[in-house]
Amino acid sequence: MKQFLKILRFELGGYFTNKVFVGVTVALVVVIVGVMFFPVVSDAVGEFFTSEPTQEPGDGDVSGNDGAQVMLVSGDGADTVAAAFAEVFDGYRVDVADEDDARERVTNGEAECAFVLESPLSYTYLVRDLGLYDFNSDIADSTLVSLYQANVMASHGMDEASIGEVMSAAVTHETEALGVDQSQNYFYTYIMIMALYMVIMIYGQMVASNVASEKSSRAMELLITSASPTSMMFGKVIASCTAGLFQLVVVFGTAIVSYTVTRSHWDNPIVESIFGMPPALFGYMILFFLLGFLLFAFMYGVVGSMASKLEDLNTLVMPVTLIFVAAFIVVMISLSSGNVDTMLMRVCSFVPLTSPMSMFTRIAMSEVPVYEIIISVSLLAASVVGVGFAAAKIYRLGVLLYGTPPKFSAIVKALKK
Amino acid sequence: MKLEFSHIQKSFGAKHVLDDICFSAESGDAFGLLGRNGAGKTTSIRILMDVFPADGGEILVDGRPIDRSRIRFGYLPEERGLYPKKKIFPQLVYFCELFGVEHSDATASVDKWLRRLSMYEYRDKRLDTLSKGNQQKIQLITALAHDPDVIILDEPFSGLDPVNARLLKDVVKEQIERGKIVLFSSHQMSYIEEFCDSIAILASGKIGITGRLHDIKRSYPRDTLIVSSPDAAAIANEYGVEAGEDGIVEVRMNGDKRAVIKSLAERYDIDEVRVKEPTLSDIFVEYAK
Repeated sequence: MKQFLKILRFELGGYFTNKVFVGVTVALVVVIVGVMFFPVVSDAVGEFFTSEPTQEPGDGDVSGNDGAQVMLVSGDGADTVAAAFAEVFDGYRVDVADEDDARERVTNGEAECAFVLESPLSYTYLVRDLGLYDFNSDIADSTLVSLYQANVMASHGMDEASIGEVMSAAVTHETEALGVDQSQNYFYTYIMIMALYMVIMIYGQMVASNVASEKSSRAMELLITSASPTSMMFGKVIASCTAGLFQLVVVFGTAIVSYTVTRSHWDNPIVESIFGMPPALFGYMILFFLLGFLLFAFMYGVVGSMASKLEDLNTLVMPVTLIFVAAFIVVMISLSSGNVDTMLMRVCSFVPLTSPMSMFTRIAMSEVPVYEIIISVSLLAASVVGVGFAAAKIYRLGVLLYGTPPKFSAIVKALKK
Repeated sequence: MKLEFSHIQKSFGAKHVLDDICFSAESGDAFGLLGRNGAGKTTSIRILMDVFPADGGEILVDGRPIDRSRIRFGYLPEERGLYPKKKIFPQLVYFCELFGVEHSDATASVDKWLRRLSMYEYRDKRLDTLSKGNQQKIQLITALAHDPDVIILDEPFSGLDPVNARLLKDVVKEQIERGKIVLFSSHQMSYIEEFCDSIAILASGKIGITGRLHDIKRSYPRDTLIVSSPDAAAIANEYGVEAGEDGIVEVRMNGDKRAVIKSLAERYDIDEVRVKEPTLSDIFVEYAK
């Protein structure tokens, strides 16, 4: 136990004095703070600019009054339509013009866009460059329909008040999700799965290369004679787990703290849904990170002990990485299909190799009975312990072998001893 | 303290690596474990250090099965290597602590050894900035800093210049005088001959010969005299052998040693005469095959 703690401390020291580790953590924190404080900065900058004196009305400039853009209407009933458009299009100055003039002014950029009316219910929308988020024609459609309906009603003798009442009729509705609201959970589940995936992958491979480099630098010759393989394996894996967890907590913590500070400046439903994550889910994430990480890190450690040189490592880690990527893909596909309770996901959420990500996703995105969670976590925890001790045994065998990696039968034999 | 290998067996798969290995080493003694490459030296050392268990036989200390919690081993492996990218002092302290030494004792001991081996100035340097010989000295500290009872040195002199080799010799002698068991494994016979009182020669996993070096040498037939004389040519002629270039001639004795020496001394000008004993190299070549 004492030896394990010494190894743990030494390995942890290795991470926290590693310039790359510190650098990446600091960079991540800076980026997150930067992103989270962006609305504050942009609000401040925006205020600064809008407080500048704007152009005087009637300048006759392209942008028209108050910096508004110009929208032209031409054709039949242009006046009425222009009046109606002036009310619905915020930020536009709506003018009437004839078609040729409208075309010319839109082409040379004097006007932003133009509506050439052919009949009360048909028009041509003229715009120089059609933007991705140009919803003007949708607004125009509904405005024209309303105008048309109002005209028809008026022609049938309805008075203006009744028409107004009919036209302003609206439906109210509420949605109540009785289980989990997937549209709310989707984004943070996505982010957390990505985080789980990346941290396990990166730190797992670090364990592998750590072991392999000890072997190739022959520090192993001394280590195996002074420390027990179990202490070494657990020391290394738990150290990198702690380092990974530290980074995860720092990154998510920074994001949450920054969001708390800048909350009032955020006006984005996606961001709000991400930070509206229930704290229990964060707890589950940590739990599944710990167990999932340990499981994979032990496997990566074994793989590292099989490599004689660092160059061999890439091919050797492949099988472990493939299992992990497969689990990730299954989860991602289920997540984006919107149905996380498929048979495949159910099975995956109990199989230890895939359960960290799939059970977590199911908990986040649907209702999972408590007993299922308990079974899944217990299976996972049991296999972590089992794989951990098996890994230490194989490791003892692996680290002494140079040259060709041991055959599978030799590994099984070592496990039996 | 007496450390004893008793009928140790070990195989890896179908390959029999050690077969009935028996030898013993005592405190205050240096013991030479010799053998050609692949003879089983490293496997024996690893069994001793419990890297893997023996298939049969046991290791005894003073006649009882070894209690590894009470005996500390110091090991200088043949394949040298520590953490190349890490600073020297912290990793030495780490290794010392892995052997169960408290942190404060470990730092004190590592500092003492760094000074003793004139390496103190490199204390805060990264290991890979050092020359090979200096790295070797750092490695030696990992074998000594935790004050082990049994010190195992695998090819300790390889890569050292004469000054450092002298320094290492002094250190080793000091450890032997302090009553440690020092186990040498080397191909450099001159060093083994200089230090080791007892040896074991391994040949393909079996003990070729083991015992006190002095006794082993004595067990060879003592029937040849080495005579150094200005009259070497005449002596050679008389005994029907060829004289060596530097006035040395080997004379085979037929009969009593004293009579032969007396007869030689009466008739020739003799500088030196001694009974021919085999060198360790001769013994090694004969038994290691």
